[in-house]
Parts: sequence; structure tokens; C-alpha cells
Amino acid sequence: MNGSQHILEAFHRHNISTVFGYPGGCIMPLYDALVDDVDVEHVLCRHEQACALAADGYARASGRLGVCIATSGPGATNLITGVANAYLDSIPLLVITGQVPSALIGTDAFQETDILGMTLGIVKHSYLVEDAGDLPRVLEEAIGLAQSGRPGPVWIDIPKDILLSPITTAAPERPQAENRQQQCPDIREAWAMLKAAKRPLLYSGGGVSLAQAEANFRAFAEASGLPGVVTLKGIGNAGRHNPNDMGMLGMHGSRAANKAVDECDLLFVVGARLDDRATGKLDGFAPNARLIHIDTDAAEINKLRAADIAVRGDLNAILSAFTTAAEQTPLSIGDWQKQCQTWHTTGGFRAAGNEAPLTPITGPAFIRQLSGITPDNTIIACDVGQHQMWVAQYYQFAHPRHHLSSGGLGTMGFGMPAAIGAQFANRNSTVINVTGDGSFMMNAQELATIRRYNLPLKLIILDNQCLGMVRQQQELFYNNRESQINLDDNPDFVAMARAFDIPALHIERTDQIRRGIETILAYNGPMLLHVAISREENVWPIVKAGSSNREMIDEPRKTSNRKEQVA
Amino acid sequence: MNPTHEIASPSYTLNCRMNQEAAALERLCQVVRVRGFRIARMAMESSEECLEIALTLEGSRPVSMLQSQLEKLHTVIGVEVVSGAASRSRTA
Ligand SMILES: Cc1ncc(C[n+]2csc(CCOP(=O)(O)OP(=O)(O)O)c2C)c(N)n1
Repeated sequence: MNGSQHILEAFHRHNISTVFGYPGGCIMPLYDALVDDVDVEHVLCRHEQACALAADGYARASGRLGVCIATSGPGATNLITGVANAYLDSIPLLVITGQVPSALIGTDAFQETDILGMTLGIVKHSYLVEDAGDLPRVLEEAIGLAQSGRPGPVWIDIPKDILLSPITTAAPERPQAENRQQQCPDIREAWAMLKAAKRPLLYSGGGVSLAQAEANFRAFAEASGLPGVVTLKGIGNAGRHNPNDMGMLGMHGSRAANKAVDECDLLFVVGARLDDRATGKLDGFAPNARLIHIDTDAAEINKLRAADIAVRGDLNAILSAFTTAAEQTPLSIGDWQKQCQTWHTTGGFRAAGNEAPLTPITGPAFIRQLSGITPDNTIIACDVGQHQMWVAQYYQFAHPRHHLSSGGLGTMGFGMPAAIGAQFANRNSTVINVTGDGSFMMNAQELATIRRYNLPLKLIILDNQCLGMVRQQQELFYNNRESQINLDDNPDFVAMARAFDIPALHIERTDQIRRGIETILAYNGPMLLHVAISREENVWPIVKAGSSNREMIDEPRKTSNRKEQVA
Repeated sequence: MNPTHEIASPSYTLNCRMNQEAAALERLCQVVRVRGFRIARMAMESSEECLEIALTLEGSRPVSMLQSQLEKLHTVIGVEVVSGAASRSRTA
């Protein structure tokens, strides 16, 4: 068995059945071995960035390891954005690249780049395999490391000669699968602080689903009755129907969620890293609150805001201990719950719109209808911009793994490849990519991948003929001086989809929304819906970067009555 | 001129033990830089398996935050702050 065959054998051992990749010179031995392998499905994307992002989408939607493969030099450098994307959102990824033969490393050989050196800051760990005998150990270690603790991408760079070398060492024994229900740290002090609080607030993030702790989270949310807010990556943690969930906080969060953070006297943070887009200016963040911080990663505790009590460890074990405590002695926070529910009714995102039928489509109106029409298990992969925020604000997610959004890196072009990955992970789910006209063009070549594998993906472009999110910030914070945001010479997206043999539909009026969505959902195969929306539409509310969340700017025409209701 | 530049940042001495692996030292130095510290002095000894690195660092951020970021590196076996801040040994 040579190095390449050994890699495939490791895939089999770890039940890795789908990988995303693109061949080339130094990785050719692995592609040669793939010819004889019937168990590993290799998905050929049309750009290595899309391979990494598809592997990321696969992992996000399934909770399993995503795998991507590329050749040395340009293949490897093209992966970088996708790997950084996975790193910032703690997504488990195994990245395998070919490298020039060992003897040529350091000679500026054809397609040689020091990919190990270039990517140190965007991986959980990385390896350059220098000895064929090390390959079995490195593979085992990398696959385990990517998925353990706080997950992340692990990169293995393998010189071509090692891919061809006979491997005589055996794979090391796999350590016994860790028991997920690990020992729980002492929560007594934290519980006492929570019990004593008058206005405690649950603040949860992406760590809940990364730890596969959704069920324990919901059990705790229910047993405690705590009003809750979520970060962008925590959307869906509480499910569609929790009356105490106030949705997303932060820069584009609801007035209700930010108000609750402002007023609470205790913040109970679960699996969240207090990112600046969520907290706004730290000085003004939850100014009256003590903080209990629950996380797996010790480095997140006290990083940006000192915790009064930190509980570090396995989220499942910790949440279940808190649930038991809450069941034994319920919290008495009825008034605070009511107050939060009132804020949510008047300053949340759920309020139904009453758009007139012949008016132009707005982003919120479209997403609200999408949310109402699509089945509960729908997966939405967003791109980055205003449309991403409208999805976060108005789509009611049943589960955090249904909302695929590039949170940490904010990578335009994430959506379509991520949707491709998600569809491979969930063959029977409805998977929709909601994108903007700018983001769509960042990985538009992947229409060919959708066509090749006949994925029944639905693509929705909210086309405002500009880079809307940047236009909005220029309007509000740069004296309306528009700079390089105009996209009114976009291609004809409907014709473009059809060129890839993907049927497409155009809509532009509110009364066409339902028919449009129902048509693409009913179609048995990939289909694109092109939605013309106003260029001038903004995402509301908004907090200026660097300001406190208390300084939310609301939609001008709503400012007067909102103030009365929520302030 | 930025007046904060004239104020000397606190200085710390750290001992760090790492596994011998490709790019181990680069990884360490990169984390130190990205997390806001400057290397004033560095000494290293290597044995069969391990690197022993003594670092004198300057930086205005809490050194405990750097320590926990360094401890996250897979190649790092242990980090000890020997002067400049309360010493804290690695937690499990
Ligand atoms: C790769 C990349 N380049 C640039 C940006 C900066 N950026 C953030 S949002 C945005 C505009 C996105 O436009 P579009 O996809 O049309 O979405 P819209 O905001 O109009 O909904 C830009 C340029 C980014 N996030 N990612």
C-alpha cells in the first residue's frame, strides 16, 4: 500500500465517504488511487475555494468532518479563504494538499509554495509529512484533532514522493471514543449566582451546536425559563417556538434583544465568544450585568470581558447539571420574563409585514414569506451582506445546523458552495442558497457543480444591483458618498443559470413572492429564483461599528413609535 | 506621535516547552505577535523530542490571555509565566 492508498484507507476507517477536491500535479497519486475506490465519493468543484467552502458547509450541516483536497501551489493557495472561514467559525475540516517532492522543497520548484508557513494562523494544527512512516500517525491525529474540543481545520501537506512511497507502519490504535457525557465541573457557585439574579439572560452562540449540545440546551432553556438572545451563529438554538427567545442581538440584532442585554443583571453565556459584532463597544455592553461564562475553550474565558464565574468543560454535561438544578428549584423570574416578552412583541423581528401586493419586493417581506412556506428541516446557506442579515432577522430556524452563515470571516461567495456541501450531507433536505448579486458572482462557477451532480438546490438571488451592505454603510456613515458599489451592469442572471442548464424565474412584485417560492420548491431539480429588490433598502436596526449597542439606529420612519414601545 | 509609545509596556518572562515538529517555533512566534506581544529576548534548547524556549516579552495586554492561547497550540506541552505576572500552571 502506498501513501495515497493509505489516505483512502484512513477515510474508510473514519467513515469519510464524501470529499471535495480538485486535482493537479503533486496530488495526482491520490487521484490515481481514487480511480479504484468505490467507497469514497469525490465531488469535483470548479475552484479550490469552493472545495473548502463546500467541505465547510458539509460539516456545518451534518456535524461530521468536512474534507477537501487540492494540489500544491495555486491549488493550495486557493483553499486559503475557505480554510480561514472554517477556522473562524470552528468548523472541523481535514485539508489535504500535495506538495512538491521532498527533495525539491526549498528550491522554488514548479508549483512550490510554503503552504504550511502561509497558513499557520488559520488552522487548528498543520503538518508537513517529512517521512512516509509518519503518515499513518499524522492522519489519525489530524482526523481526531479537527473534531475534538473546540473543532477547527487541520491541514496535512504531503510531498508527492510520500504519496507514492510504500507505507509499512500501521495506523496507531484509535483511542477509545471519548464518552461525550464527561465529568461536570462544580456548578454550585454559578447556580447560586443565577438563582439570586432578578433579571438573568441566556446568551448563546455557535458553541452549542459545535458541542452537539442542542438537546441539553433546549432542556435547560425550558427548565429555567430564562429569556434568551442568540448570536448570529446561535440562531436556531432555541428552536422555532420558544416564547422566551428574543432572537439575534448585536449590530443588526433586534431592539428587543439589545434592550434585554442592556437591562439584565446577569448574563449567562453559553458557547459564545463575545465577538464585537455581537457586543458592540465593550464598555457599554451589558453594563449592569454579572457574567457567567460557559465554554469548552479556556482561551475564550476572560478574553474580552471578565467572567464573574467561569464554568469550563463539556457543554452537554454542564447544561444538564444546570437543568437538574433548575428543575429542583425553579427560578422566580416571572416579571422579567413578561417584560422581555413585551419587548419582543414590540421590538422583535417576528411582527408580520403587511406589504401591499403590487409594491416592489423588500428583503424582509421576502424572507418572512420564505420562512412561512418552507418545511421545518430546510437548510438555508447565506452569503454575506444585507440579505444575510435579513435571513438572520426574519427566518425562523428550527435548528442551528439549518442556518449556514459565514459568521467570523464574513466570506462573500460562501453560500453556493456551502449549500452544495450541505446537500451532499443531507440528500433529502431542501437546501436553499440565499444570496446577493455581489456574492453570487464570487463563486458563480459552482453552477456547473450543481448541474453535474444534479443537486436539487434552490438558489435565490436578492438582486439590488449593488453591494448593498457597503452602500448602506456609505449612506449612513460616509455622507452618502457611494464608492465602487454599483452593480447595475450585472449579467442577466436568469440567462446565466440557463446557460448552465438550470431553469430560472424572475419576480419583482410582492404578489409574486409566494408563487415564485412555491415554483422553485416544487421543481424536481436545481432552480434559480431571481428577485429584483429596491437598491435603496437598508437593514434595520443598525449599530455603527465601534458604538455601543444602546446607540441603535432605527429605520427613520419607524423611529418615533418604536421609541415609545421599547425604550 | 502616539504618546502611548513612550510608555514602556510591562515585560514578562515565559518558559515554554514544545514538541519538535515542522514550524513549531514559527507557530509560537506568530501567536505571540498576533496576540499583541513583542519578543525582547529568546533562547532555545532542543533535545530529541522537545524544544525548551525561554522568552522575554513586552506587551500591554494581560499575559494570561497569551498563555492560554499558547497552551492551545497542539505542539505546546506547557507554558509557565516565571516573572512579571502571577504564575499559573496549565489546566487540564
Ligand atoms: C470576499 C469578500 N469581499 C468583500 C467583502 C466586504 N463586503 C461585505 S458585504 C458586501 C456587499 C455584498 O453584496 P451582495 O452580495 O450583493 O449583498 P447585499 O448586501 O446587496 O445583500 C461586501 C463587499 C466580504 N465580506 N467578502
